[in-house]
Amino acid sequence: MIEEKIICIGCPLGCETTLKIDDQRKVIKITGYKCKEGRQFVLEEYRSPVRVLTATVLTQNSARPLFPVRTNRPLLKTQLKEAAKALIGVKVKPPIRVGQIILPNIMNTGVDVIATDDLIS
Amino acid sequence: MKFSEVDVAVIGSGPAGMAAAIKAKEEGAEHVLILERQEQLGGLLHQCVHNGFGLLYFGQDLTGPEYACRFVEKVRDLGIEVLLETMVTQISGDRKLTAINSHEGPIHLQPKSIVLAMGCRERSRGQLSIPGTRPAGIFTAGTAQRLVNVEGFIPGKKVVILGSGDIGMIMARRLSLEGVEVKGVIEILPYVGGLIRNEAQCLHDFDIPLLLEHTVTQIHGEQRVEAVTIAKVDKNKRPVDGTEQNIECDTLLLSVGLIPENELSRLAGVDLDPLAGGPVVDERRETNIPGIFAGGNVVHVHDFVDNVSWEAEIAGTWAARLSQKGDFEKKEKITLKPGRNIRSIVPQTISGQNDVTFYIRVKEMEEKVRLKVGDIYHRAFRVVKPSEMIKVDLLQKELNLLKGNSSELVVECEKGE
Repeated sequence: MIEEKIICIGCPLGCETTLKIDDQRKVIKITGYKCKEGRQFVLEEYRSPVRVLTATVLTQNSARPLFPVRTNRPLLKTQLKEAAKALIGVKVKPPIRVGQIILPNIMNTGVDVIATDDLIS
Repeated sequence: MKFSEVDVAVIGSGPAGMAAAIKAKEEGAEHVLILERQEQLGGLLHQCVHNGFGLLYFGQDLTGPEYACRFVEKVRDLGIEVLLETMVTQISGDRKLTAINSHEGPIHLQPKSIVLAMGCRERSRGQLSIPGTRPAGIFTAGTAQRLVNVEGFIPGKKVVILGSGDIGMIMARRLSLEGVEVKGVIEILPYVGGLIRNEAQCLHDFDIPLLLEHTVTQIHGEQRVEAVTIAKVDKNKRPVDGTEQNIECDTLLLSVGLIPENELSRLAGVDLDPLAGGPVVDERRETNIPGIFAGGNVVHVHDFVDNVSWEAEIAGTWAARLSQKGDFEKKEKITLKPGRNIRSIVPQTISGQNDVTFYIRVKEMEEKVRLKVGDIYHRAFRVVKPSEMIKVDLLQKELNLLKGNSSELVVECEKGE
């Protein structure tokens, strides 16, 4: 049996949890979390960690050179760098409303990249 | 709107200023005016393109610009007046306010109340006294953040970050994703300066080394940074001879703390608290000058944007009430006193007549302690850390438990659970 320490990043509290894992890599016990969501988070974090990607893309016909975006759902942690590369060359034009889809289905993950700001001009 | 009719003037439109203005309007102040020096509302939120904003306030994981958008929409819907690209240059103790912009020229206002919401700024190299040359390539983390996220410049190819503040760690991740080699984060203290979750998702996720109890002792390079020397430090934070090592890099980012912006507060004659860094306030977030309130990072630097907005709402609420009913009656005040292992307490004084939201920062990391506010409140903590501010809400009726006419209330960490 081994122990793995995982910091829960589900909320700003940042609980430091400990997972007891058996030889079949099955989680036997979790300690150190403070809520149900946190318990679920560290379990997922152990099995397959995911993150929301935030980034910027280039603009056209705008006074602002860059425009902020994020994925509408988390990606696998291992996909983050590749996803950041997939945003190179994406250009947006005003008008854009916050929440609007900028790049649908990034890398065929079913996850969309959305605007996180308004772009009026 | 005639400028002579302003009820509540709010200086700054970041997460504090917009929250204060909205609350003041909702509380019934008719003419609420925001003065913002940039060309858009939102303050620093625009360059904070990462997520983690609003988890407490909205129960949603938003980015900085999204958090700003929510407030901007409300500012518009409520008909709050806004002056952009307008710099406040003077506030006097009798609530006269002077601002300037290129459309109106100088603007003279006499608002009934003023909310200070100018936020904070970063400590820079000059405040650290790092020996060495003065080449290009040394930036504060926030400046690098603006360059990368707003203006579209990458500050360098090989980066060392001094200080493990949140902005530094967030920039470590951001630069890694942009293909920059982040060689390490150097922290003089034995623990990380920012939030533990940022250590996890910004440093661990990208395999960026964190060197605790180390500091930069020399900067090398003539035109451009070429390397830094780092060394281990002893218990007194002094570099230990023989532990020096050179790290080749072209950029050094500084993430070594934030300081409230106090210039306007000083001009107005507002008393400042050297411990919290900003104005001394009471539970209404009113300063020693009647009718001048303050909220958010201008009072003391918060860990979470959500608390910045919540605190500014307190200031906005009372600023509106004062604008409608006139100045508050002067009463005896109770002074909060930092006791064992307490760095700072906001508010620094209370009237005892209203509910209070306290924000408390400890001096040192300590395990198994009991936080006490006089003998009217206590809470057990497994661990307290300087990087994690403690919020304590006390109801007015709990303050009634204060014995007799005590003029002092000690906040302290007691050892043991």
